[in-house]
Order: sequence, then structure tokens, then C-alpha cells
Amino acid sequence: MRAAPSNEEQDIVRKAAQWLALLESGDASEDDRRQLQRWRDSDSNHERAWQKAQQLRQRFSGLPSKLAMATLDRPDQARRAVLKRALGIAILAPTAWMVVRQLPIDAWRADLHTSTGEQNRWNLADGSTLRLNTASAANVDLTARRVTLIRGEMALKVPGSLPLTVQGPYGLIVVSQSEICVRLTDDSCRVQVVSGSVQLQPLQGPVLTLRAGEQISMQRSGAGAIGAFDATLPGWKDGVLSVQNQPLGDFLRELARYRPGLLRWEPELENLRVTGSFRLDSTDRILSLLAASLPLDVHSRTRFWVTLVPRQNPSPKKIA
Amino acid sequence: MTDAATPSEPTLHALYRDHHSWLESWLRRRMGNAWDAADLSHDTFLKVISSSQQLAELREPRAYLLTVGKRLLSSFYSRRSLEQAYLEALAQLPEDCVPSPEQRWLWLETLQALDELLDGLPGVVRRAFLLSQLDGLAYRDIAEQLDVSERTVKRYMAQAYEHCLLVDW
Repeated sequence: MRAAPSNEEQDIVRKAAQWLALLESGDASEDDRRQLQRWRDSDSNHERAWQKAQQLRQRFSGLPSKLAMATLDRPDQARRAVLKRALGIAILAPTAWMVVRQLPIDAWRADLHTSTGEQNRWNLADGSTLRLNTASAANVDLTARRVTLIRGEMALKVPGSLPLTVQGPYGLIVVSQSEICVRLTDDSCRVQVVSGSVQLQPLQGPVLTLRAGEQISMQRSGAGAIGAFDATLPGWKDGVLSVQNQPLGDFLRELARYRPGLLRWEPELENLRVTGSFRLDSTDRILSLLAASLPLDVHSRTRFWVTLVPRQNPSPKKIA
Repeated sequence: MTDAATPSEPTLHALYRDHHSWLESWLRRRMGNAWDAADLSHDTFLKVISSSQQLAELREPRAYLLTVGKRLLSSFYSRRSLEQAYLEALAQLPEDCVPSPEQRWLWLETLQALDELLDGLPGVVRRAFLLSQLDGLAYRDIAEQLDVSERTVKRYMAQAYEHCLLVDW
């Protein structure tokens, strides 16, 4: 760390900056120019500051101006500065859940994966964004314009018109200027279109077009019927699990994907109903919330072995 | 490093031993990512080694580490948001103007250096400066675009020049 400039140096720098701004403004008179020359000649430090000020301009030349403007004057800049001042640094950090991984800008091939309970986002070199949900893996090969989903769940946003082909076990999906979610289970692959539209080529059957708000399930035997889903509901990409009147069993099977270890429950609990949005960054808290609103108790032998049982003491609360 | 060759070495060693895992877990909580946290905690100690701060005189070593660490964390996020904006801007380029990988790297490095140079300037001053440097706009046009007087633009420009000169002094 350098020593800070002295007061005198700061004054010289300020003067040089003011001279340069005056000159550039076009308001400088002949007299001003003579004064500037005298100021430069009077002290070698003045001249040095002046030269450095002139050189600053060169640092910005040679950059494509649109690209540089979009990057240096990015919209979050002002917001960040205000936040930094007002709230301190902590607020700038994403929550543990919303991690963004930056691939090296020229990584054209990458094997990406997440472990259980982890979720990651990658910005690809072509401007596309790929997110993996918990316990997922995908291979990216941008030279071949191909993304292969190996396991788990992925969201892919391709803003450009150059298509990326998503390869799954039961067919191909061609994505450009669109966003999709793809989820693999043991014997099927569900495709949802969040925005835009995509072409699907199942292993069997004709090519299909799927539009925003539509979903389909592909199997070995071909594609099922096109259905609808609510693309506006918050989902795993937002770090939440949202359900409406869902059987607790289904909810817990979904939740278990995000938890390492065992999650078990007594069969009587299977058909209790759950409604709400739950933040996925703490699945332990979700379990406590369930215990607070449903007639059940959470027994943890260890963090990795949790069993839900019907509450022993009859609760006065009635569950619809 | 050989022992006792530099007088500050044992202190640095103690600093690392006593606070390294604490700093790393602090960073991990902020960043939610063990890899980046480990990198950044390393960088923090490197920064401390290369600084002129006398380690033996540190009264509050953790507060000092945190100050250095926070600064690095802040520039880490700046860099990341810059890279993201850069990628998005690249994606907007027409297909026949896509630069070579080497060119993309060079630009990115230049942009990162300029971003650091401008860090700390108020948003509107920064924008006025960029309009002048990148788009080559006259002060009159900048004034119009930002809806301020030409006098104000002159002041903004002087402020920005002063800021940049002091960073590099």
C-alpha cells in the first residue's frame, strides 16, 4: 500500500484536473492558455501532473465504446454504491443459496455439477446462463453448441439467436432466445418453457414446438401430452419451494432432494396438506415450520437422519 | 521463507495460525461458497504481507483482517458484476462482429482496470466522465444528456480527473 499523496500533491492534482476540464470545455481563453503554460513551467510536479492527466484519456481509447459503456456504466453500479455506503458490505453478498459461479470467459467446454443442497449459476461464454438445481450435473460444449443434462435439474437461458441444443436421455431440445427448465427423473424428462419457444425432438415421434408456459414429459416411448404450468410462480431458481395444497408426502419427497441424509415420515402423515413458499436455504427451518403448523413432531437422531411422526399429544388444531 | 530471516515472519505466522480459519469461515458465510472464500482469505493474507503495516503493532488483528478482507470482497463482487455486464454486452454484438478470444480477454482486462480506477466516483460523475472518454461527447452534449448545466459538467469532469489521478499517483 502506497503512502497517501501529501496535501500539496493533492492540490497540484486538483489544479491539473481543473485545467484539463477547462480546456476540454472549450471555454478557455487565450489568457487561460498562457496561464496554464506558466503553471506547467513553474514546477516539475505541475508538469508531471499535467502529463499524467493527459495520459488518462489514452487509457479509454481503443475500446469499442458501446461495449465499454455497457460494461462500465452497468445499471447496478449506482445501486451498489448506495448500498455499500448505507448498509455496509454484507448486503452485497448473495445468500448462501444463490451462488453465482463465473466460468472463465473462454471456457468453451465445462463439466458442471452441484452437490445435494447446492444450487449454482454459471454465465457461459456466449452470453447464455445455466443454473443447476441440487444434486445435478451437466456438460457444456459451446464449440458443438451442445449442453448435456446428466442428472438432476437445469435451467438454461439462451438470449442470443444462435441455438444451443440440450441433449437428454429421451430426446433433444433446441433453444434460442428462450429460457427452459429441464428435470430428469428415473424414467422421464420434464421440459418447461419459461419464455420464448423451443423445438423438441423426442426419441420417438415427430418434432414438437413448445411455447412459454407449456410443459411436456418425454420418455423412452416418446413425448406425452403438452400441459400448462404457471411460469410466474417462484420456484427453485428463486431459492424457494412453493406449493398449493400439496400432500405432505409429495412435499417431503421434493424436500428430500435438497437434504443430505435420510428424511422419513410415518404413513399417516402422507396426506396432510401443505401450502406456502419455503426458502430452500435452510431445510431444517422448513421442517420446524411444518412442525409448527401441522400435527407432527420432528425427531432428529442426527442432522442426517430425521423422522417425522404424528404428534403424541392430541393437538386442538384441526387440519382441513 | 526462512525462519528469523525477517523479523515480521513469526508474527505473520501467528496471525495466520490464530485467525486464518476464522477469516475463512467469515468469508464463507458471506459468499456461500467455500472455494471463493478460501481464495479470498488467501488473498487477504497476501495483501497483509505486502502491506507496510507493522504486524507486531496490531491491536485488533481481526478487525484489521476484516477491513482488508471486506475491501477484497467488495472488489470481488465488482469484478463479477463487471464480467456479467461484459458478457451480456458481448452477446448483443452482431454475429459478424464477435471478437477473437484474445481480444475479448484484452478488453476485459482493460475494463477491469478502468472499473477499479473509477470505483468510488458518484454515479452521475462517472457517467459524465464515460460519455466524454468513451463516446467523445462535448461538454455541451453531456450537459444536455444528463440534464445539468455545462458548468456542472465541467465540475464533474474535474472531479473525475482528480479522482483518477490520485488513484494512480
